[in-house]
Amino acid sequence: MNDRDILKYSLADFVYNDNPDVLSPPEDFTAWMDDPRVGLAYKFFEQPLQAAPTPRTSLRGGVDGVTRDVINLTSYNYLGLSTHPEVVQAAKDALDLYGVGASGAALLSGTFDQHELFAAELASFKQEEACVLFSSGLGGNMGAIQGMLQKGDVLVIDDKCHKSLIDGATLSGARLASFKHNDANSLDEVLTRHKGKRILVAIEGVYSMDGDLADLPAIADVCDAHGVPIYLDEAHSTLLFGENGRGIGEHFGLEDKIGVNFGTLSKSFGGVGGFVCASRALIRYMKCFASPFQFSCALPPSIVAAMRKSLEVATRDSTLRDQMWANVAYFRKNLEALNLDLGDSASQVIPIIIGSSGEQLFTMAMEAQRRGLFLQPIDFPAVEAHARRFRISVSSQLSKEDIDEACNIIEDVIARPLGTVGNSGRAGA
Amino acid sequence: MNKEQIIEVITRNLLENLDDLDAETIDPEASMRDYGANSLDIIEVVSSSMRELKIKVPRSELADVQNISQLADKFLEHMNS
Repeated sequence: MNDRDILKYSLADFVYNDNPDVLSPPEDFTAWMDDPRVGLAYKFFEQPLQAAPTPRTSLRGGVDGVTRDVINLTSYNYLGLSTHPEVVQAAKDALDLYGVGASGAALLSGTFDQHELFAAELASFKQEEACVLFSSGLGGNMGAIQGMLQKGDVLVIDDKCHKSLIDGATLSGARLASFKHNDANSLDEVLTRHKGKRILVAIEGVYSMDGDLADLPAIADVCDAHGVPIYLDEAHSTLLFGENGRGIGEHFGLEDKIGVNFGTLSKSFGGVGGFVCASRALIRYMKCFASPFQFSCALPPSIVAAMRKSLEVATRDSTLRDQMWANVAYFRKNLEALNLDLGDSASQVIPIIIGSSGEQLFTMAMEAQRRGLFLQPIDFPAVEAHARRFRISVSSQLSKEDIDEACNIIEDVIARPLGTVGNSGRAGA
Repeated sequence: MNKEQIIEVITRNLLENLDDLDAETIDPEASMRDYGANSLDIIEVVSSSMRELKIKVPRSELADVQNISQLADKFLEHMNS
């Protein structure tokens, strides 16, 4: 690796460690990471928030170490439930009653009345027979796949699916196959190639890097034709889509086509954890073989009590999601006026795709932060090398003033350098 | 080393990573995905081949590679640079 090429490398180039000393990383990885130009990019990771993940918060910047008041467009707190007074109070009350931790795995001593009630409430909400809770979203996807598949089976995923599903395939021993993003013909080819095997198709309701929706109608038709069930990851769509907030399945009126429903508690719910809803028989079986369920400490009861309240608040009426969708519409209108490339986003996740230059991405990210915007840059290999981007997570808690101010900064630090607007500023914004 | 020999290296690593494949069925103009390789297989095949060839081509430069022949071209380009 010569000095001239150092910025062409990425984490994808260091997956394999050739260092004979297993306690040391690859030598070229260390040299690469120590380069200040590379190190700059990693200063945008693990930047500590100094207050709640609300639209106006405080962040200690990784580049300069300065703590600033920022407009937060990065947290997944889509409905503001992380700081909702009723949710916080429910956590406090449960904390007083149950203490801090669950003190055990769910199968042994880690199940409390709160877990039992919440699992039943989630199953009822998703109109499924049963539900199992996991301590993390990643563990939920991994555990569910491990609990259903084995060596000889095939997990077919959309090629934009989350790493947790890939890891689930690895953990289960099932063969992993992928189809082109949202491409029903590609799915049909892959299913035909693996005909005769036990197959599960996994897709996401909202894809987290692009904010576009699964083409569920077309995918369900192909799966029906092959007699293959669908696993739907609604991490970024539960509580947000559908008349009752059940997600993309409800949005498309195709819930009867879904074999297994997955969701997280760390996004719209404002907490932490994962859950899987399916038939009673499948959930009972899955619990016996999903390591992240069996061998992980259960969720703290205070979190579960808070998540029960989140579910209640988010589904008692549509106020929060209506507000979020109004914010999405207003934000999009402003971003479109800046002629920015928003990809195929059709959700509260809105990418601003800037192109292939990593240097430009991080220069913009530094300037955005200096101006008071917490807007996370997304680099290759998390996204394609030609489509580096920023990713906005729109929250119901954003005010019109927050969005206006954010868009002014985006105009100055992203749109103008990209040349998508001239000196006259936004038209129609 | 010429392109043909590089294709042999890639093909051998592909065969080692995929069940139910034999060398006669592999067309350099096809993509590894055409033979059922998933993203993890491709990482393994590309990494093993580069280790064998003693080169390190940035993955970002391989994003547009469509088939085995084009991958061999990229490898050859780096071996000659």
